Amino acid sequence: MTFILLILTFAAMYYYMYLGKQGKVFKIRTLPAIQAIPEAVGRSAEMGQPVMWTPGIAGSLNDSTQGPQTLAAISILEYVAEEAVKAGVKIAAICPLPDALPLVEETMRTAYMSQGKPEEFNIDSIRFLSGQSAYMTGTLGYLQRERPASTILVGGFYYEAVIIAEGGNTIGAMQIGGTNNIHQMPFLVATCDYMLLAEELYAAGAAISANPDMLGSIKGEDMIKWLIVVLICVGFLLGAARITFLADLLRV
Amino acid sequence: MSDQNIFDKLQNIDRRVFYWVLFITLMVPFIYPIGLPVKVVQNTRDLYEGITGDNINPGDIAIMNFGYGVSAWSECAPGFTVCAKALFREGARIVFMGSQYDVELSMNKLMNDAREDFANKVYGVDYVFLGYFTGGESAIAQLATDAWTVYPSDHYVTPDAQIPLMQDFHGWQDVTVVLSSDTGDVGSYFLRQWQGSHGTRLAEIGIAMNGSTDYPYYLAGNYFGLSIGSRGGAELEVLIREPGEATTAMDSINASHLLIVLAVILANVGYLLSRRKA
Amino acid sequence: MSNILKREAVFAVTGLVTVLMFVEYFFFPQDWIVASTIRNWAVIIYNISLGLGGVRLIQQHVMGTQRRKENWQFSALFLVAFVVMLLTGLAGYLGTGVATSNGIYNWLFVNVYTPLGSTAYAITGFYIFSAAYRAFRARNLDAALMLVAGCFVILSNAPVGEVIWSGIPAIGEWFRFVGQVPGMRAFEVVGALGMIAYGFRALLGKERGFYAGGAEE
Repeated sequence: MTFILLILTFAAMYYYMYLGKQGKVFKIRTLPAIQAIPEAVGRSAEMGQPVMWTPGIAGSLNDSTQGPQTLAAISILEYVAEEAVKAGVKIAAICPLPDALPLVEETMRTAYMSQGKPEEFNIDSIRFLSGQSAYMTGTLGYLQRERPASTILVGGFYYEAVIIAEGGNTIGAMQIGGTNNIHQMPFLVATCDYMLLAEELYAAGAAISANPDMLGSIKGEDMIKWLIVVLICVGFLLGAARITFLADLLRV
Repeated sequence: MSDQNIFDKLQNIDRRVFYWVLFITLMVPFIYPIGLPVKVVQNTRDLYEGITGDNINPGDIAIMNFGYGVSAWSECAPGFTVCAKALFREGARIVFMGSQYDVELSMNKLMNDAREDFANKVYGVDYVFLGYFTGGESAIAQLATDAWTVYPSDHYVTPDAQIPLMQDFHGWQDVTVVLSSDTGDVGSYFLRQWQGSHGTRLAEIGIAMNGSTDYPYYLAGNYFGLSIGSRGGAELEVLIREPGEATTAMDSINASHLLIVLAVILANVGYLLSRRKA
Repeated sequence: MSNILKREAVFAVTGLVTVLMFVEYFFFPQDWIVASTIRNWAVIIYNISLGLGGVRLIQQHVMGTQRRKENWQFSALFLVAFVVMLLTGLAGYLGTGVATSNGIYNWLFVNVYTPLGSTAYAITGFYIFSAAYRAFRARNLDAALMLVAGCFVILSNAPVGEVIWSGIPAIGEWFRFVGQVPGMRAFEVVGALGMIAYGFRALLGKERGFYAGGAEE
């Protein structure tokens, strides 16, 4: 049954991506956090301070729920890096994940190249801080020393989220956060100015590029959400009547 | 600053003042214990009952995962120790493993805290310490299908073929129960790769921060029991009738929880009254 | 290798592995040698990346020390610590197969590294405290209700709540088990759907960034 639902999900997304390619226009609601990225970069340009991006230590690419968060964070890094290069702002990417490091380097290098300034790319702008305590304290140290005007905290976080975000607050940085880790969402919501919650993190790429394919997949995702809502309602009513066939079916 | 009234000052107390107040609040109960009784909640009771009595038979294999490091000892170690003791007293055999660099330190602490129970047990027969693993969820998935490829030897480099317990542990089908104690996501790896795929009984001894994430899984039956933070550890100590570190820490937890509520109320009093004044 | 071929190779490998793991998860309840081999390789590749991280750290700090960059002394200290831990750990590992069997390694690990880690974790409490004090304001009705619920949950988590009022534990438990669980489930479901959609786009090369297979504008 799970397999069938998964195939249905893929089919729905592919169908709407196909419609998108055929010219149908899909709109998604604006994501304030994504819209705030140029503002954050602009703030850094005005203040002559860098922008800091960091993806959190939870998002090892080996993890089926955390890895995608890191990949989504790297998609956002590409956008941030492009904006930063355009504005002439330094960007510091603090990455605690050894398996994501090559992707971060490639993304930053590509962003500089796409803006026609490959010579400005400095590998030292990417810092690798291994281990949670080292990453947390190293990032705090960076915040205190370099005082970035904006921080972008997107990805899979553990408890370092509250410390890094609060550290950013202490120096008065504009903060954009985003995670799918429910246990860290409250801390980031309390400390960040803008927030990407749960699926907004994954939809960020679509919001940035407004590519019809990507928007189509989000539309397909929304259709499946409706299906899940219907299943929940039907299951609730059947459960109240003590009919369990649907619950048993979905358990398969 | 000088034209701030009392209400503004209430909202803007220097955080360093709070750090000192919190520090003192946490320390005082260790010197002057209060000792309020700890009520056991259902999720912790289900965890304890799930590893005792009819739910565990002598000889059953249990996996206990050190998903926490030294930094989280105060939250996870007491509950983990109680569960290890309970399983040993039921005659279960335990496979200890861990995802943190300092897993050996956590194992040493466990063996020290439960020394009477370990004294009756034979290493390699009643329990084995496999040590640190890398590879994240892939390793946990592989552990379910072929444990020997993930751990060809134990932490002390003894090959699996020479460890009697490992002769009976090759994968998920040999394990009765998995207890994972996490500051991160290893419990969810077991949830997807063991409980979800194969129906292995799974419980979590987690930090308080992960409690809200774990509750839905407990209510849905994915976890048969759930112990949350130091409080959960104290409840387990009540159930096994052996007060320990978590019970000692409860006084500090009482004080800090009260303090944080008071601080929030103070800030909001200042905020609401300054708004009214404006 | 051209950039296009690099991307095609990535998609080919990723797609093939995805299909194989799907097949194994849904159709092979027992061990399947193909999936098992792939998982073993995933673990090996992850461990290689750890080495890559170590090499990167060395490069970074050696350059920092050589060029006398700002705070180069800390880079030098890092290199000393790295070499000491590496050599002593290797000595222990080569001797008995367990790194901590080396006395120096064990002493540094137990008496330097672990207290530092514990201290870093302990800082969390203080930062949460200051974040809560600064951010939890009853700016509107929703925030006020959330505050009240939060206070009940905090107090119900500690025995002192019951001493203050016997109803606090019951109300706090209600919030934990009934009030917040639907929201948590909703987050889990939509987060999972978002992940599936992201993975689907990435596999088809429609996603931004590293997975951009010609979908870039």
